[in-house]
Amino acid sequence: MSQRKSYAVGTGLFIVLGFAALAYLATQTTSVVNSHQGASYTVDAQFSDIGQLKERAPVKVAGVRVGQVQSITLDPGKAVADVTLLIDKKFSQIPANSVATIYTSGLLGDQYVGLQYGNAKAYLANGSHVGLTKSTQPLEEMLSKFLGSNGAADAIGGTYKVTAHFTNVGALTVGAPVKMAGVAIGSVSDVKADPVKLDATVTMSINKQYNQIPDDSAAAIFTSGLIGTQYVAIQPGGSPNSLKEGDQLVLTQSAVQLEDLIGKFLVSGSPSGNNNNAGGNGSSNQPAGKH
Amino acid sequence: MSAQLGRENILIGSLAQIGRCGLFLLRILTAIPLSMRYARETVRQLWFVGAMSLTIIMTCGLFVGMVLGLQLYHVLAIFGGTSATGSVVALAVYRELGPVVTALLFAGRAGTSITAEIGLMRATDQIAAMEMMAVDPIAYVIAPRFLAGLVAMPLLCCVFCGLSIFGGHLVAVDWLGVDNGTFWSNMTANVNVWNDVVNGLIWKSLVFGAVISLIAVFQGYTTPPTSEGVAYATTRTVVTSSIAILALDFVLTAFLM
Repeated sequence: MSQRKSYAVGTGLFIVLGFAALAYLATQTTSVVNSHQGASYTVDAQFSDIGQLKERAPVKVAGVRVGQVQSITLDPGKAVADVTLLIDKKFSQIPANSVATIYTSGLLGDQYVGLQYGNAKAYLANGSHVGLTKSTQPLEEMLSKFLGSNGAADAIGGTYKVTAHFTNVGALTVGAPVKMAGVAIGSVSDVKADPVKLDATVTMSINKQYNQIPDDSAAAIFTSGLIGTQYVAIQPGGSPNSLKEGDQLVLTQSAVQLEDLIGKFLVSGSPSGNNNNAGGNGSSNQPAGKH
Repeated sequence: MSAQLGRENILIGSLAQIGRCGLFLLRILTAIPLSMRYARETVRQLWFVGAMSLTIIMTCGLFVGMVLGLQLYHVLAIFGGTSATGSVVALAVYRELGPVVTALLFAGRAGTSITAEIGLMRATDQIAAMEMMAVDPIAYVIAPRFLAGLVAMPLLCCVFCGLSIFGGHLVAVDWLGVDNGTFWSNMTANVNVWNDVVNGLIWKSLVFGAVISLIAVFQGYTTPPTSEGVAYATTRTVVTSSIAILALDFVLTAFLM
């Protein structure tokens, strides 16, 4: 009998240990995102683009979780997503004119709905409607805004094209941004080799709103960061005339090749090699006239 | 002609084996209410397959967690993401390694001994003797072992996962210097209780427990009553259940994720 009792106790211990481990895993190492306790109320909001928002995604105010997304349905007939938010009852004092925005936590994180408080005296109640919403910003849109590539720049009233000749364009590609003072003002629309001059012709589409750029401005190819993409930087000159469609930028500075730079560094004091090169080679730091 | 006949026999034979296994499962399930009379026997089996397996499960869990922490730290360091070590260890263990490694160990540790025990009972006519005494061997011998395996697997898997997390923490935080708070907060932020713990860990280990126990008792019960037959059945338990675990793991992952 005592033998029997000992294994019964051991088995009991085993079961308790197993359940304790389960409880530990479930409570200490996970987010209990979908379990909401207590009473709650629902409000709905309409978004034109919900991005990657999923059901049970958190709803946050000032970064603190107040509820979760209950359902996401497509409004029939309209290209609008109906999102129902389930908010805990204890957060019942959310102003009725609050703004619901879809945010992303971190660069690669999940999306959540953020509520910014309005100033109304009335509060959101069960079944009420959040009128003010901001949809998700697709990363591509943000990036293209940031980089000023075709899509975003073209939309604002057209572009005009100017060309520039470079002895070396490095890794410059079509779509690369054209920046002035670090601000994207257009994009590279074409890169090709000139069969006569034996250099590279870069065509840039510059936004029409920047039509006051002096026509003696210089164009240089820079790299954003150490391993970043390359872009064309416009360094304004002093001419009273502005660049127009089809103009050419005569002052250019080619892409700096790392190899050239290192070579210069190693054999400093013998720059004679540069003089043999008709177009001046790409490592020249002066944007002065090469043409 | 004879070769073709042989191949056909293998095909038909394995089909028949699967069919017998399914029918055997039905017999076990119908015998479960009857086996409640022998609850004490179930507890004894739970002690035997569950509690006695704890040592190996805990040791292996600890080392799996440690090696995961070590490997992931160095891979994630390339991308500057060592703070994700905790969450990746937890996700890997809950979703795949926990259930699968526990199941493989369980098949080796508990499955074989169940097969050997039942096989020897068969070989020494103990099962026939029970039938003579009007004791249903399915209810008295088979069902308790099956139930014990079913209950023990998820519990063992939880213990395994807990120790893995501990091992990962040991290596990543105490040894390699990942921040303690980052380790845990990243884990809690990225591990979901339903998708990862319930769907990954609990369901998978329940299914694996049922499959291993079924294969073990079936092989033991149907073994040829010779010492060679018992040895053969024991081997087959390990081989068949390992294949079944890995194949089912894929199917379950596809369904549950």
